[in-house]
Amino acid sequence: MVSTIQNTDVKQKDADLAVVVAVTTRAVFESADDDGGDVYGVGVAFPLLQALHKVNERLLEESPAESLLFDVILITTDDEQQQQCSRITGSTRHYGLEVSRFCFSSQEDFTESLLKNNVQLFLTTDRNEALRASQNGVLSALLDQQLASCPSEQLRVMISGDAVLRPDTDPVPAGQKGAQSFSTQLGQMRQKFGIFNSPLSIVLVTLHGGRESCGDALRTLRSRGVSVDEAHCLAGAPRGPILSVLRSHFLLCDVVSCLEE
Amino acid sequence: MVKMSLDPVQVMSGQVKELKVAPSSNGESRGSWEAKEEFDQDHLGLTTKPKPVTGRRARKVEGGVFFPKPENAVTVAVSSRVLFRTEREQKVFEQKGVEEYLRYQIEHETEPFAPGPAFPFVKALEAVNTRLRELYPQSEELFDIVLVTYNHAHVGIRLINTINHHNLFIERFCMTGGSSPIGYLKAWHTNLYLSADADKVREALAEGIAAATMFMPEKLTEVSETQLRVAFDGDAVLFSDESERIFKAHGLDKFFEHERDNEDILLDHGPLKGFLEALGKLQKKFYAKGQRLDCPIRTYLVTARSAASSGIRALKTLRAWGLEIDEALFLAGAPKGPMLEKIRPHIYFDDQMFHVEGAAEMGTVAAHVPYGIAQKYTKQKTSVGK
Repeated sequence: MVSTIQNTDVKQKDADLAVVVAVTTRAVFESADDDGGDVYGVGVAFPLLQALHKVNERLLEESPAESLLFDVILITTDDEQQQQCSRITGSTRHYGLEVSRFCFSSQEDFTESLLKNNVQLFLTTDRNEALRASQNGVLSALLDQQLASCPSEQLRVMISGDAVLRPDTDPVPAGQKGAQSFSTQLGQMRQKFGIFNSPLSIVLVTLHGGRESCGDALRTLRSRGVSVDEAHCLAGAPRGPILSVLRSHFLLCDVVSCLEE
Repeated sequence: MVKMSLDPVQVMSGQVKELKVAPSSNGESRGSWEAKEEFDQDHLGLTTKPKPVTGRRARKVEGGVFFPKPENAVTVAVSSRVLFRTEREQKVFEQKGVEEYLRYQIEHETEPFAPGPAFPFVKALEAVNTRLRELYPQSEELFDIVLVTYNHAHVGIRLINTINHHNLFIERFCMTGGSSPIGYLKAWHTNLYLSADADKVREALAEGIAAATMFMPEKLTEVSETQLRVAFDGDAVLFSDESERIFKAHGLDKFFEHERDNEDILLDHGPLKGFLEALGKLQKKFYAKGQRLDCPIRTYLVTARSAASSGIRALKTLRAWGLEIDEALFLAGAPKGPMLEKIRPHIYFDDQMFHVEGAAEMGTVAAHVPYGIAQKYTKQKTSVGK
């Protein structure tokens, strides 16, 4: 059974115009050294939420009536978390997180919850959850432990250059349309800020391909209105060292295979 | 000023007599510098058939390692301002700001940049790679060139178009969009970083990465397209600046005395020692296939030290480090420009702007290594040699 609760502490966004991002409670709150208290510890996705909040703040500064904002919802994806209703809402209030809604669902029905809430991006630390959501047509990205040390004043989104689908390729599968429209919206948000001092940075990373792939990706993204800030072309170099310098919050990818890597 | 009686002496590696090496060597001690033993007759020819290179440029080498792992390759990171000529664009940036600069770049996206000071060097690296791939098709021990730039990715398309236009073999980039490139240099296992920005170069040196600032000379003498030639100054480039400190503080006589007294004590290493070492490793791969005489890499030491005295310590040190240098030129204070003009290196590394400028005046691409005591004396232009 799925239930959705609004967070009355936070002003609700216009759900049709905002970019709905769902993050699992497991990623946001740390339950490992659980002492059973009222408030959870801080999880790996904290800097991410703060960065999303920062983008909203700056967007509203530029234009107080702005409706293209991030609409963040927290979602539980298993029975255990589903039971922790008051602790989750309590912790959210305690930390003053800009979360507009809570979705309490279980393992079986969380994808239903994602679809019902028009989630445009689902973020989780669990690869299986990401794959399941993706298979159900929801754009998903995997969060990893490195996220805890990512910046909180700037949202850094990595786009995979190897998987940017060219305009002339076969029709995009429904599930992946999400990636294109999400990146387009990111592009629109990015345009509201100047070159320097932007709260949002779009980073293109070509892991396998060389300059041809990189050039194609830059051109394709530009045609979607997405201006890329940084571009890294690895052409097969081991990604670890470079990604750890990059410190991006998550990777956006047009194809499901990214999640399987 | 002490006038040296010796003319610049060219010392071929084969002619230096057996030198004593101090017990406190900090490098591997090798045999004498006399001629190497006879080639192993069995390995004079190639042991593997070279892979055929088809078309404009073989993009995929079948079965071969195409993109080497950075830690296995000799990684050279070049900035866009030294690989290409971007003076006009720089002016737009300085005078009109970043937004106008990026607009200008995008407007001129299909116009390739002209070659910059590092261009011939990079072309020569590619020539060496071609020869290495012929001899060792599976090996990752190659030069790997990474374009590392402060630029925003907006400029990326123009850079890629330019690389295509000049038929360069650069597949790896790092466009940091304004963030410091230093962290990425480490992540790329950079062996040498070339930039137009002295501050970045200093930062890199501080992190232990060989780096130098490059400038565009007024005229450019023609350099070889088939043999990579790299020339190094000695003190504060290959070696530490310890001797230079003595010279700057106490003068020439004290310097000579110090060098004589410490002849058997090895000099400490300088920022470019590692790069010379990397070049030496690649050279040995050619020697192993019987290509010593035809080696597409040649290295030079061009130092103000003099052969009969202070130069000895330099040679002993190199030898103790197990580093061969093809030609050592001891100028005993004579200007370096004319000698470099004869050598025609693709790049010459020196810690003193005075020499860098002197070399550039005669058409040599010289790169400044902002390391050591000489940086405190940049205002003074002295002609006193060592």
